[in-house]
Amino acid sequence: MNRGSPEARELQALAGEYVLGTLGAAERRRVEARLPTDPELAAAVRAWEERLLPLTALAEPVSPPDRLWQRVERSLGALAGFPAAMPLSRRPWWRDWNSLTLWRGLAASGFAAAAVLAAVLVGRLAEPLPATRFMVVLVAPEDRAPGWVVQTRTSGQIELVPLGVVEVPADKALQFWTKADSWSAPVSLGLVTPGQSAKVPVSGLPALQPNQLFELTLEPRTGSPTGRPTGPVRFIGRAVQVL
Amino acid sequence: MSVPVSDFDYEAALLACAAGKQAALRALYEQEGARLLGVVQRIVRDRALAEDVLHDACLNIWTRAGSFDPFRGSARGWIYSVTRNLALNAVRDGRREVGMDDEMVQALDVREALEAWHDTTDAFDWRASAGRMEGCLEQLEPVRRNCILHAYVDGLSHGEIARRLEAPLGTVKAWIRRSLGALRECME
Repeated sequence: MNRGSPEARELQALAGEYVLGTLGAAERRRVEARLPTDPELAAAVRAWEERLLPLTALAEPVSPPDRLWQRVERSLGALAGFPAAMPLSRRPWWRDWNSLTLWRGLAASGFAAAAVLAAVLVGRLAEPLPATRFMVVLVAPEDRAPGWVVQTRTSGQIELVPLGVVEVPADKALQFWTKADSWSAPVSLGLVTPGQSAKVPVSGLPALQPNQLFELTLEPRTGSPTGRPTGPVRFIGRAVQVL
Repeated sequence: MSVPVSDFDYEAALLACAAGKQAALRALYEQEGARLLGVVQRIVRDRALAEDVLHDACLNIWTRAGSFDPFRGSARGWIYSVTRNLALNAVRDGRREVGMDDEMVQALDVREALEAWHDTTDAFDWRASAGRMEGCLEQLEPVRRNCILHAYVDGLSHGEIARRLEAPLGTVKAWIRRSLGALRECME
C-alpha cells in the first residue's frame, strides 16, 4: 500500500482512533478482529501505541489497596490449578510462540554457547577472525537449533553465515532484521537466500551494540509490505560481545 | 517500590513472567501498579471497576507475556496497551453510545464552527509529563490538544468530548482526525 494513498491514510486514522480510544464498542471489536490477519493494521496500531504512550504519565497514580494484589495472587493460583480452563489464554495477534524465553534462554547459557559457536565458525571459515567483536547466534524458535551466525569482521559490513539448509516455501522469502534496544523500530537488512552467506552493508546504521536483536522472518517473496516484520520468525538471537 | 522507569527492566520482567516466575509479576506490579491503576481509573471513573480492570490486566500480562515480541514494540508499551485496552473495552461495552451515522454528523458539522472555534485554555497540565511528545502537542491548537488528551487520558468518546467542549460532534471528529495526522507527521 502506498504510504500516501487514501487507503493508507484511512488505515492510519483507524489505528490512531483505536489506540486513542474514540472508537465505539462495535468498531473496536471490528478492529480487534482484523488485527490477527491484517499485518499493516497491526503495525499501525503498534506504532500508535508507542507514539501515545508518554500521555499515560498525565494520569495521577493511584495506589492499589493491598487486597488487590492478594486477589491477583488467588487468581494466579486458580489459573495454575486449572490450566485447561484458563479463560485468558486467547492468543494475542502478534505471535504464538515464546520468543522471549527462547532467546533469553540462549543468552543465559552465555559465553559457553558463544564459545562453542565461535569454534564452529573458525572451523567453517578457516581464516583468523581478529576483528570479531560480536557474535549473534540465530536459533529456530521451535527447537532452538542454531541456524545462522551473524558476525562483524570489518566495520561497515556484517556477515550472515548459514549453519545448515533452510526450507522456504516458493512464494516466500527470508527477510533479515535488526533492532538495538534504543531504536524505536527494527531495520530491514534485506532478503537472504537460504543456505548462502550474505554480506550486508551496515554503514548507514549505528555501531552494533551488545544485546542488539537480529531475526529472520518469513515474508512475501518481495519482502515485507510494511517495512516491519509481518510473518513468523524463523530464527532469532541477540548480539553477545565476544571478549 | 517503584524505581525510575529507566532503571526497571520491563522486558526482563515479561520474560520471567513467561517463564512462570510469579515474583516477576509482583515486581512489575510494585513498579507500575499505581501508575496503571491511575491510567485505568481516569478511563473507567469508578474505583471498584478500575481495580477489576487492573486485576484482569495482571492476569493478561501473566498469561500473554510469552507472546510479547521486543521487535514489535517496547515492553512497557505492551503492558500499557494490554491494560488500556481492557479499560477501554470495559467503558465502551458498558456505556451505550448515542448512535449517530456519518450523514447526521455532517449535517451537524457547521463549517464555521470549525473555523471560528477558539479555545485557548488547556484542560491538561501536559507540558511536564508528555516527554518526547511535548513538541508535537505544542503544535496543536489548545482545543484540539484537549480533544486528544480527553480521548486518550480520560477515555472519552467523540460524543462525550463534544458535550464537554460544547462543540459540534462532527467538528470534534474532524479535529481529532486531523490532530492525529499532525501528530504522526510530527513524530515521524
